[in-house]
Amino acid sequence: MPSIVPMQGVFVSAQSFSGVIKFTNCLLVKGNALVKEDLWVSSVSGKILNGQEILYEHRTAPEEIVDLGGRILSPGLIDTQLNGAYGFDFSVIPEEGMASYSKGVLRVNRSLVATGVTSYLPTLTSQPSEVYQKALPFLGPSGTARDASYGSESLGAHCEGPFLSPTKNGIHNASVLREPTNDISDLEDCYGITNLQAASPIKLITLAPELPGALPSIQALTNHNITVSIGHSEATYEEAKASIKAGARMITHLFNAMRPLHHRNPGIFGLLGTPSSSIHKPYFGIIADGIHLHPASIKIVWNAHPDGLILVTDAMRLAGMPDGTYDWTNGSRIVKQGALLTLEENGKIAGSSIQLVDCVTNFLNWTGASVPEALKAVTETPARMLGMQDVKGTLKEGGDADLVVLDLQDVEGGEKKFVVDEVWKFGVKVFDRAPRP
Amino acid sequence: MRLIIRDDPTAASKYIADYIIERINAFNPTSERPFVLGLPTGSSPVLIYQHLVQRHRAGMISFRNVVTFNMDEYVAIPRDHPESYHSFMYKHFFSHVDVKPDNINILNGNALDLELECHDYEEKIQRAGGIELFLGGIGPDGHIAFNEPGSSLRSRTRVKTLAYDTILANSRFFGNNLDQVPRMALTVGVQTVLDAREVVVIITGAHKALALQKCIEGGVNHMWTLSSLQMHPHPMIVVDEDATLELQVKTVKYFKSIEMVTNELGFRQKLPKKRDSLIGEGTLLAPGFQASGIKLAVPQFDISRSASPVLEPMSARLSGEEASSAPVDLGHIADQPSIRMSARVGG
Repeated sequence: MPSIVPMQGVFVSAQSFSGVIKFTNCLLVKGNALVKEDLWVSSVSGKILNGQEILYEHRTAPEEIVDLGGRILSPGLIDTQLNGAYGFDFSVIPEEGMASYSKGVLRVNRSLVATGVTSYLPTLTSQPSEVYQKALPFLGPSGTARDASYGSESLGAHCEGPFLSPTKNGIHNASVLREPTNDISDLEDCYGITNLQAASPIKLITLAPELPGALPSIQALTNHNITVSIGHSEATYEEAKASIKAGARMITHLFNAMRPLHHRNPGIFGLLGTPSSSIHKPYFGIIADGIHLHPASIKIVWNAHPDGLILVTDAMRLAGMPDGTYDWTNGSRIVKQGALLTLEENGKIAGSSIQLVDCVTNFLNWTGASVPEALKAVTETPARMLGMQDVKGTLKEGGDADLVVLDLQDVEGGEKKFVVDEVWKFGVKVFDRAPRP
Repeated sequence: MRLIIRDDPTAASKYIADYIIERINAFNPTSERPFVLGLPTGSSPVLIYQHLVQRHRAGMISFRNVVTFNMDEYVAIPRDHPESYHSFMYKHFFSHVDVKPDNINILNGNALDLELECHDYEEKIQRAGGIELFLGGIGPDGHIAFNEPGSSLRSRTRVKTLAYDTILANSRFFGNNLDQVPRMALTVGVQTVLDAREVVVIITGAHKALALQKCIEGGVNHMWTLSSLQMHPHPMIVVDEDATLELQVKTVKYFKSIEMVTNELGFRQKLPKKRDSLIGEGTLLAPGFQASGIKLAVPQFDISRSASPVLEPMSARLSGEEASSAPVDLGHIADQPSIRMSARVGG
């Protein structure tokens, strides 16, 4: 695994001058097209600039011109479901205390950014209340300092649970699952009342909509500007539809941990074919690791709702670690074989350890999507789901200059492969696969 | 007048781009003595810009010491509007090359006082030392810049109401909605263009064939404003075959033969006389600088395009007696059967 390249030189010189950088000779990902255009960014403000305005209004020439040799320049990738990586688990409070936890988060951020993921939602699996209360303050949005050296940026935490169906728990510990019977007060009790107030560290909550009190909870969370996703659920189509009406916007890892499609009762899956005019089709997460889902299933849902598909890794702390058997919580053990993770005792799939860029590669090869369509599923679409489409996942003026330089390589069998060549965070280069001497 | 005919728009555009590059490099501009270039917008010049950008990327030309003046801009559309000429120039040229932002001049169609903006523009051109080379295109009605039919051939930079034809033609860029098309523009005048020390015009496509015919074979006429180029000492028009459809065969053959002869004699058709512009600049300098000004100018003569040693006397002949020497050569050639002529070219 390549390491992060120190780029102090760039950073220091950027501080003393205009900091205007022009990327040229590149293919920009704009909507559903690859456009041969230049991109202007500022390493001072960390934002994407209007090159025309810089030229005519500010009469400023770029300080640095980066020739990308015809490669793809995409917005930085966004992972809305990452449980941990590089040996660190967001859901485990270390015995050494919270200082150690804080360092662990920073370590993940710095390593993660080199994979092209410039922002993400650190995700907590179902846990007892005290874990949320301790961990959440460290997982809130971390981009306020706009400091590229911090690595990847948390856009807020994703709480996957504990208000989930006990029969669709996956590898979540069933004993900590709860019901939001008293709706918001139960949620406050679980996550901590301060964590649900304004400027909440939580961005997204996955819950099962059929649980008692779930619908008013969804409404309350939506009013708190916390996005709700449905998943780990036994919901029928009607129950799922009611949750969308209540304000839920997404389906967590579609197909996994929910009822399979039955032609007379399509369940949550049925939302993608809804004939209803009263609801919008929801966004949905897809784990394209070649283990969780069959490629054909992915192609079906993409065709059903291309603008809603969000690729997620659902990767856990073994991502980026060598193969082997590792201790898991509550005395269980997990076997890692490549990207495949299984619980030792029952062989259940236990999350993934794939990188997001490899999910994009799989998606590209399996569905026949175009390059911009595939990248949209990890940039524009997740940003839109989170209501951050003007800031993240875009190359439009005013957006954050979080960028990935991708090389699209041919591999055997006529398939393609995305390789992350460079990563820029807030207009500063933080990773270079092959730095020039 | 030189008329260069190429097979297609690409070849014609490449010819002009190469010509401009050669002119700039021979001028050897410095920040004190920049090359002042007039630039057009429109569909015809797009390929020229593409070629210039490619050459710039290949390191063959720098625009660092080039000052640019654009011909025109619409009145009262936002600068960032996709159809504004600011946007056009940014998209096709300025964002890809190293022209210094301070050296870019485009009329501001949103100026509070449009008259003043035009007046200042003329002054700016004067301050920059006048335009060395004005590149232009024309409309199907023979207009250069927005000098529509009937414009004074002595006109200067000014506010211009667009002709109905032009508004119709432009509506395709504004969603075919006539109401969206700007009705007015700021444009340099015909005389502003004629004041440039050299004018190069690209004309491509069958739809401009009539305009080319009127401008070359017809008389000087304000209904075809490009025809005023007949009064310019160093005009060059580069066209594709389609644009020659309305010309007489005789005219086409004549201009082709000029180019052939000069090629055969070992140099491309250049007019060394245009180097007078450099002398002019030298004498324009303040008295205190005159000595150094002349020194600057003299090497420019030495950097002539004399790839072959033959060129020196030959160019001297052309520059001295252009009028008398050219017909002699041509008469000689014209006597020869056309088959032998083409055979010689092939060889």
